[in-house]
Amino acid sequence: MDLYLPIAEVSVNAPLLVALGALVGFISGLFGIGGGFLMTPVLVFLGIPPAVAVASMSNHVAASSMSSVLSYGRKRAVDFRMGGVLAAGGAVGSVAGVELFRWLRLLGQADLVVALSYLIFLGIIGGLMFWESVGAILRRRRNAPAPPHRDRRPPWLYGLPLKLRFPRSRLYISVIPPILLGAFVGVLSAIMGVGGGFILVPAMIYILRMPANVVVGTSLFQIIITTALTGVLQAGRNQTVDILLAALLLVGGVLGAQLGARASSRFRAEELRALLALIVLLVGLRMGLGLFFTPHEPFVLMSGNG
Amino acid sequence: MQAALPPPVPGSAAVSAALTETNVRVNSDFRGDQIVLYGAVFDPAQRPSDVVVIVRGPDQPVRIARKSRVAGLWINSRPVVFQGAPGFYIAASTRPLDDIAHFAVLRRLEAGVDHLAMHAPAELRTETRYGVRDVVVSSLGADYLDWRNAVVRLKTAEHLYDVDEHGVRFVDRGLFRAEIPLPAEAPIGQYQVRILLFQGGQPVAEKDRTLTVEKVGVERGLYLWAHRRPWSYGLAAMAFALAAGWAASSAFRRD
Repeated sequence: MDLYLPIAEVSVNAPLLVALGALVGFISGLFGIGGGFLMTPVLVFLGIPPAVAVASMSNHVAASSMSSVLSYGRKRAVDFRMGGVLAAGGAVGSVAGVELFRWLRLLGQADLVVALSYLIFLGIIGGLMFWESVGAILRRRRNAPAPPHRDRRPPWLYGLPLKLRFPRSRLYISVIPPILLGAFVGVLSAIMGVGGGFILVPAMIYILRMPANVVVGTSLFQIIITTALTGVLQAGRNQTVDILLAALLLVGGVLGAQLGARASSRFRAEELRALLALIVLLVGLRMGLGLFFTPHEPFVLMSGNG
Repeated sequence: MQAALPPPVPGSAAVSAALTETNVRVNSDFRGDQIVLYGAVFDPAQRPSDVVVIVRGPDQPVRIARKSRVAGLWINSRPVVFQGAPGFYIAASTRPLDDIAHFAVLRRLEAGVDHLAMHAPAELRTETRYGVRDVVVSSLGADYLDWRNAVVRLKTAEHLYDVDEHGVRFVDRGLFRAEIPLPAEAPIGQYQVRILLFQGGQPVAEKDRTLTVEKVGVERGLYLWAHRRPWSYGLAAMAFALAAGWAASSAFRRD
């Protein structure tokens, strides 16, 4: 059953998109990520104009994150104060990101920056996560004791001013690192069409040292606010949000996210991390390695007039 | 009867044509369309005739870039803008265009993708060459044709440009038929359909028809809303998305 999308101006296979939305929604609920880093490349591959794919993903990611964050909220696994601080930075970042993306499209370098961002960020995050989680799995198999926990928190992080108490995360830290982290993720959200969970989750664990049980819910909460803002900005500034495309994706997406959030309790945390790391690595390599191969068509048409 | 008329003089041949559909309605199940054109050649002398049908969509400037290798990476050049390129173009004919008329004739009529009058004005500058002042040259230099051919090649790959050398068929004496495939990606707007009758390498008669491709129903409503009131559209789309997420979560809570 084909459906013509009014903004993207292409005809797409509706059941295929619903199924894709469900699959990405499941992954989103399972790992507590928006799933945009998976969905945006797939949409572009299906022939949706990249600008429309990136913008409409914001709506989809906001919807599926909304559906999972409520489940996490009922389990008291969301640190709303930390989420709010992250989102304040995220708001600044997404406004800057939408403008940066317009400028890059004008220069004709948007494709390059998107591909490089995928390769670098997904490559590094995926690699580090894979290394760490495989180590944890092997230690458990051998019944080896966990490495001594380094409780010495980095002074550069904890010596900063503007300290705030985060009771749910049992932290008393400066708001500067979370705000910077949120702003960075906001820029990526506008450029890559992602929520940014794949960066937020590890950064919250390894840099902010938040307890693992609130990390996923808090990341989803921050993603809702950032993507809601990005989605409205993209619609207002670039007229690239396709509501029909977003609706198709989120029909499957919200259902998939529910199932994913449930399934997540049945797996060990390090196994989940290893799986996510593999997915992240594969997508990053798939998107970025194309830059190194000789293209069979040296010319490329750019969509829009800048 | 025709036989009673004086012997025909050149130019007395005429062509007539009609589209079976003049309004293409783009709604939610639009997957492209097939436009059928019927026409007739009136020529008392019955000289050998060729018919060329040119369908041209609304003009859309094309931005194109070329990839080149920089430090191991394939990177886009600065984009070049071609003006005067139609958003959709098909030239269908009874024979290959080059057999029907000469280069100069085809160029004047913009018949065939090689003869489309598109150019990249931003790349043009004037300079003095061989003592002649104000010579117009393109900064794309000798590669200019590569760029132009790339526009045609990429548009053809998207089914937006086409040359169909046998797209017009005579189904009976003087009666011809042409089929124009319109892909789902075809731009919205007014299309010009020009039917040209060639005899002895010269165009002797022509007819113009128009074709309208327009969005209707929900598609049109959403498109207009998104473009005329983008901020209210964006807010509504996001509110809808968040409500859907909330609804799914509450639905799953009671099981």
